[in-house]
Amino acid sequence: MAKNTILIVDDAELNREMIKFIFEEQYNVLEAEDGQQAIDLISERGEELCLIFLDLLMPVKSGLDVLHFMNLNNYIKYIPVIMITGESTDESDEKAYEYGASDIIYKPFAPNVVMRRAKNIMELFEHRIDIEQELDERTRELRDSRRKLEQSNDFLVNALSSVVEFRSLESGEHIHRVKYFTKLFLKYLREFYPKYNITKESAALIVNASALHDLGKIAIPDSILLKPARLTDEEFEEMKKHTVYGCELLEKFKQDDNEFYHYCYDICRYHHERYDGRGYPDGLKGDEIPIWAQVVSIVDVYDALVSERVYKSPYDVNEAARMIRDGECGIFSPEMLDCFELAKVELFAAAENKFSYADSIEA
Amino acid sequence: MTVQECYDAIGGDYDEIMSRLRSEERVKKFAGMFLKEECYNTLVEKLKEQNQEEAFRAAHTLKGVCQNMSFTTLFRSSYEITEALREKDMDKANSLLGQVTEDYEKTIKGVKMLLE
Repeated sequence: MAKNTILIVDDAELNREMIKFIFEEQYNVLEAEDGQQAIDLISERGEELCLIFLDLLMPVKSGLDVLHFMNLNNYIKYIPVIMITGESTDESDEKAYEYGASDIIYKPFAPNVVMRRAKNIMELFEHRIDIEQELDERTRELRDSRRKLEQSNDFLVNALSSVVEFRSLESGEHIHRVKYFTKLFLKYLREFYPKYNITKESAALIVNASALHDLGKIAIPDSILLKPARLTDEEFEEMKKHTVYGCELLEKFKQDDNEFYHYCYDICRYHHERYDGRGYPDGLKGDEIPIWAQVVSIVDVYDALVSERVYKSPYDVNEAARMIRDGECGIFSPEMLDCFELAKVELFAAAENKFSYADSIEA
Repeated sequence: MTVQECYDAIGGDYDEIMSRLRSEERVKKFAGMFLKEECYNTLVEKLKEQNQEEAFRAAHTLKGVCQNMSFTTLFRSSYEITEALREKDMDKANSLLGQVTEDYEKTIKGVKMLLE
């Protein structure tokens, strides 16, 4: 609706006419004799109003009451108000501005000056409202395209990581469990170890990156990857290289300034490192191992223990927890073990309930 | 009677009103509206009732209207009584009412002659 209506609020008809005659050729003009009438008109026809002239001192409800109403109901952001007053006192002027009036005009006023000032203020408001609307629209568009990007990204990461599992004839659940467990660990890590400074956004990226931890297995020959028995030492040495192969794949599409790339790289490379420095491929020690790789490492071990493999049956969750705690399946930092204890109930529940694909999507 | 003669007779500022309203026809139209304004009568009534708040508002409106009409003489006395009432000084306001009434009657008389 075109905003082309000016409301004049003053208890003296003559005063209203003094303003009305300036504007009536170019605008619709509404009049109110007191604050209450003004409030009623603003409620009914606020959409049409482009400007309000407001007297301060009026019967029933005052000009300040009208401004108060406009503040409470958010009209003050969209309809400029010009106060009209006979005398300037610092106190009433300041109050009017404080209540959101855009300008003050003193009696007696010259019509051409009133017209000029009114037009300036209306233009300013219109401009501001246009800008705000445009900004809202841009923000919405950005949010939409960001969500679409995230969806595509999730889809691609899931598709890529399931390639490896598909080849090793696994069900695809391992990756979804690792993502879910990683998410759990990060929740407690963020809550109890703020020193790692992991933001909510980073946590979401790390969860996604965890899906790719075994990406390099795609380069391991079938004879090793699919061997239905324990590996020989030689075979195991080849198998260990999946960490480096994964990185070689990623480096072909290197994005140095991309946080997600670095999580993927670190997790692929370092998820078999050990806190005591006796892991592979680089033998990193302690805090040299990026914290996100430490998380995926412990999570990967836990899932391997409680899952069935061709060469072993699943361990009971309590037994798996004990083995991890006692350092029988690798050495982890005290922080990681602490997070494991914190997340234990949820980890147990997920393992025992035969954690399903649907749950992991939801998680 | 011309607009100039009327403003001279009632102690108004002809140049100022013409600089703002631009045409004598328009001045006459607003002068006609001044005759219908009730604020002077309200002021007298509320002073009689000792209602300071309402009397203040009526005086304030009268003052504002005079400002808009460039009725300088009546503006001055209505300004005085408005300030007395703002200070809640009813005695002073009552003592100023005589001057306001004198100026008001002179103004009404002049405006009526202008419009005849």
